[in-house]
Amino acid sequence: MGKIIAVHSYKGGTGKTLMSINLATTLVAHGKKVALLDLDFRAPSLYAALKTNDSEYWLNDYLNNVCEIKRTLIDLTEKYDFKNGGQFLVGLANPHTEAIRDMGAKDRKWEMRALGRLLALKNSLLNDMELDYIIFDTSPGLQYSSINAIVSADIVLVVTTQDTSDTQGTKRMIQELYDLFDKKALLLLNKTLIGTTSFEKEKNEIAKHYESLHTLPVLEVIPCFCDVLRAGGTIMFVKEKPDHPFAKIVEEIAGRIEKI
Amino acid sequence: MAIVTEKSQTRLLEKIKECLDKLNEKMEVFIELQKNEQKPENLLPGLPEALDVMTLLSLPDHLRKTAITLCKLGEATADEVAENTKRARAVESGYLNQLVLMGYLKKERRGRKTYFYVEK
Repeated sequence: MGKIIAVHSYKGGTGKTLMSINLATTLVAHGKKVALLDLDFRAPSLYAALKTNDSEYWLNDYLNNVCEIKRTLIDLTEKYDFKNGGQFLVGLANPHTEAIRDMGAKDRKWEMRALGRLLALKNSLLNDMELDYIIFDTSPGLQYSSINAIVSADIVLVVTTQDTSDTQGTKRMIQELYDLFDKKALLLLNKTLIGTTSFEKEKNEIAKHYESLHTLPVLEVIPCFCDVLRAGGTIMFVKEKPDHPFAKIVEEIAGRIEKI
Repeated sequence: MAIVTEKSQTRLLEKIKECLDKLNEKMEVFIELQKNEQKPENLLPGLPEALDVMTLLSLPDHLRKTAITLCKLGEATADEVAENTKRARAVESGYLNQLVLMGYLKKERRGRKTYFYVEK
């Protein structure tokens, strides 16, 4: 049975979307069948990052009970020339202002049904379509859409940085959200300032510090790369720059996730 | 004198068991309510509540586990919930009935089994 992975963070701009796209495509390159779903209905970003919006339906429609999940999925396997038996499916959030406003004005009953629709993906995508992974790119912080995503996920990847307010918020979020829902959560320390001379030593020190601070395992410590920032968050390393250190790091992360 | 056949004896025993099950379920609710020092009337809201994630977060730990499990299963008996949570069936039955009284869940009897579900 496949797994649902939610990529989440306390603050925005930590690198969730970049990580979601690269983790998903690295898994596809490994021959896995993956659906990457944009659950950030407040600030949709996958349509821009993947330069695609030719879906018949949005994920908003699926949650509104207008269509089945299959109708929202775009198959990008051929577009990005993935071989190896992998499949790259993408579900987008509607980026139009009206849709964003509509999603922000839902009542509790709707959110309850939306949770049911997300939980049902286990059956429709993992069981029936036999996908290996569903990756949720969530909205940051503690709001309905992200908590719904977290509750439905098997694994939560918490992308966090060395920023003080992010660190404090993440700590609170772990205690007051993940722990309460008994979630298997793993930390990804992103944009860390590591010198190049004693890379491994510094990396281990950072991992140790955040592991004891957050009482969660650190899956990986990722240095801050200027060229990643320069690319504007849209770079698909496995295809565009497979030899870049970031690509190697995502490769490591994907490998570890496959072992869970 | 009535002749008690093996068949009617079995039927009678089944009936007794069914009544005991019902009684047991009711007792579990009262035990649970007493444990939490809540009176049933305080738990009966005017309107049915939605079991959304924010509500799940506000529930006490023991009830949250039961409620999430039921959300995942969609519809289940106390036995099925207990299998998932690895807690005793009687405990889950008590928690499920408490969630029904709080207005978060509905229950329906079908044959000998009671099914709990979240109202859509």
